Amino acid sequence: MTQTKEQTPRQEITITGFGGQGIVLAGRILGKAAVLGDHKQSTLVQSYGPEARGGACSAQVIISEGTIHYPYVRHPDILVSMSQTGFDKFIGQLKEGGTVLIDQDLVQPRGLEGDVFPIPATRIAEELGRKMMANIIMFGFFTVITRAVSMEAALDSVVGSVPKGTEEMNKKAFDKGCDYGVALLKSWEKKAKGREGA
Amino acid sequence: MKNGHGDTTDFSIIFFLCSWGPHAAFQALQDSATQIPSEIKMVRIPCSGRISKALLFKPFEMGADGVALAGCETGTCRYGTGTSTAEKNVEHTRAMLNLLGLGENRLHLKTFMPEDSEGLLQFLGGFCDEIKDMGKSPVVPSPEAKAPSEGVELTKEVVAAHDIYACQDCGKCSSACPLTLVGKPFSPRAIASNIISGNVDSAEVKKDVWSCLACGLCYDRCPSAVNFPEFIKDMRHILKEGGSRDYLAHGGFFQSLMRTMTQKELRVNHWDWLPADIEQDTESKTMFFGGCAPYFDIFFSGFLGVRTSDILVDSLRLLNFFDISPLLLQSERCCGHDLLWSGDKENFLKLARLNVDAIQESGVEELITACPECYRTFTHDYPTEGVKVNFKVTHIFDLLEDEISKGAVGFKPFDRRMTFQDPCRLSRLENRSELPRKLIDRLKPVEFREMQDRAGGAICCGNSAWTGCDSYSKALQVKRIRQAQSTGSDLLVTACPKCQIHLQCAMEDPFLGEELEMDIMDLTSILAKTINWE
Ligand code: SF4
Ligand code: SF4
Ligand code: SF4
Repeated sequence: MTQTKEQTPRQEITITGFGGQGIVLAGRILGKAAVLGDHKQSTLVQSYGPEARGGACSAQVIISEGTIHYPYVRHPDILVSMSQTGFDKFIGQLKEGGTVLIDQDLVQPRGLEGDVFPIPATRIAEELGRKMMANIIMFGFFTVITRAVSMEAALDSVVGSVPKGTEEMNKKAFDKGCDYGVALLKSWEKKAKGREGA
Repeated sequence: MKNGHGDTTDFSIIFFLCSWGPHAAFQALQDSATQIPSEIKMVRIPCSGRISKALLFKPFEMGADGVALAGCETGTCRYGTGTSTAEKNVEHTRAMLNLLGLGENRLHLKTFMPEDSEGLLQFLGGFCDEIKDMGKSPVVPSPEAKAPSEGVELTKEVVAAHDIYACQDCGKCSSACPLTLVGKPFSPRAIASNIISGNVDSAEVKKDVWSCLACGLCYDRCPSAVNFPEFIKDMRHILKEGGSRDYLAHGGFFQSLMRTMTQKELRVNHWDWLPADIEQDTESKTMFFGGCAPYFDIFFSGFLGVRTSDILVDSLRLLNFFDISPLLLQSERCCGHDLLWSGDKENFLKLARLNVDAIQESGVEELITACPECYRTFTHDYPTEGVKVNFKVTHIFDLLEDEISKGAVGFKPFDRRMTFQDPCRLSRLENRSELPRKLIDRLKPVEFREMQDRAGGAICCGNSAWTGCDSYSKALQVKRIRQAQSTGSDLLVTACPKCQIHLQCAMEDPFLGEELEMDIMDLTSILAKTINWE
């Protein structure tokens, strides 16, 4: 049993931010994508507290090909942070070599060595005219960077989870996040080759 | 000259012969009844330096297989600088022949002393052999101008088509026209009313039709929406068909060059000069269409020192930056813009079809261009004139704006104060003045300041389609450069190779001289120099 469990591809993800950013919705969209689109198992634990009034809040998602026995995330493989408090609170739990995604305008990744994937998600959302969609932009970015869920499943889940009438807008936001992810990876690849300019 | 295809013995070589030294040598041959090769058609001229690039090139347009220019040896020129001028003209025209795929060796310059008749004979014989080795020129001359057509009838149609009758005689056009405003005795209202009342044949109208810049400022202001540029375009066509003279800049060199490009058999080498590090891909579904900048640079190399092909190189670098390796069409020809706007619809259509056929054959889905004239011509004039385009045409600014807005791209600080000259084709005719400004906003110059007349209301660079350039064009350019200077900028940013050429031309003014000097740089070049991955 134990052996099978170890072999099961499994990812633990913590998404943090502050109340009102749609952190929990992002977690739910992620879980739904894994289950409905990619036919895997997934759990979601949301933690509210004083957070619900604008403080730190988090969503803990596990995605696995086998059964999940314990839904709480203790050492995430991936940490997504959309607020400084959230980052500070959870960064210590990150698995060694884990992946960190941040909203670069809201989070200073202090005390962290290794790669951080930054995106100005809130700023892009503001440019699109909807600050509320920062979570969907972040989710698009997340999908490209981590490949934790497939592209198709992710997009379907976004469209199926947002309020009726806002599908197109959210799709656009998701695409923006994806585009940014692709551009960022390309940018790093180019820099690694020493080809920063034109 | 007639079409010599299939007839390999019928060669034509035009021999421009200076009246002084070389002519004496030639005469000695004639006096001794020496046999001069029959292919040689001699044209006696006063000085080799007077044979401009337009004249050196014209025989090729007319189907000549070779051209030789004979002058006096350097130092023996009766006019001082004739031979050195001839050297430059020949050098540039030879470079042009290479790009065109005709080959530089079809044109030679040679100098002779009066007593050197033996050398002259040898040269002519050798040149004939060389030309025969190269074979006949693939250029088939255009048919002679047709018999004058019914200009008045046609004019009525054009007047109706563009609704010139709607003119209320209000004069708003003339109060907006940049030519009228610099003091030229020229008024769009007067042209309109003259033509409506049937005075097409007046010398005044015939000349004014060629002066208009087709800049569209008057159309912008006209309460009756009289589309002056389109009207002028058609009027030039009618006048030309009717056999009346045109007014072309640079002796009609560019129109001549473009007409020559209508030959299907020509093996054009449009991209041979490109730096080796540019990545291209013959399988790509995206093509980059460069336009005539390489020809412009050769033509003006001795004079303005413009480098408009940098725009093409920098565009390609920007595409490569975004991992786009485009297909480049070696047989690319002029889009035909200038022929269309100088009354030669027939040859415009030939170019349009050659380009569209070649592009479609290459299987590309999208065509990118950095030239506002090519952009306008492909998107608007090809379809309007009945040439269907089944690929997408994109201005490079649109593509760049799209790619940059995906993110992770920034710009290095740019240590200049800049202002911007709008290209009329993009900013006014296509109504896209916001597009270059979006990109300018992303740059990090010390300062960006707009000129007094800007965007859709900007003033022309002084000439369009190489027609009707005169001292008023110059006055207009001087006015424009002063506007640019008064913004306190030290860099004039352009987005069209011709704006760069014409404005720089004004800066060569011998009287105003340094007072007008200002650095000019194309927007694509600034983007390419400062863009970087973040
Ligand atoms: S602005 Fe229009 S209506 Fe007025 S004179 Fe000019 S062409 Fe006629
Ligand atoms: S198109 Fe321009 S140059 Fe021609 S008449 Fe109108 S304003 Fe004057
Ligand atoms: S402005 Fe100068 S370069 Fe332009 S057409 Fe006139 S003379 Fe030629």
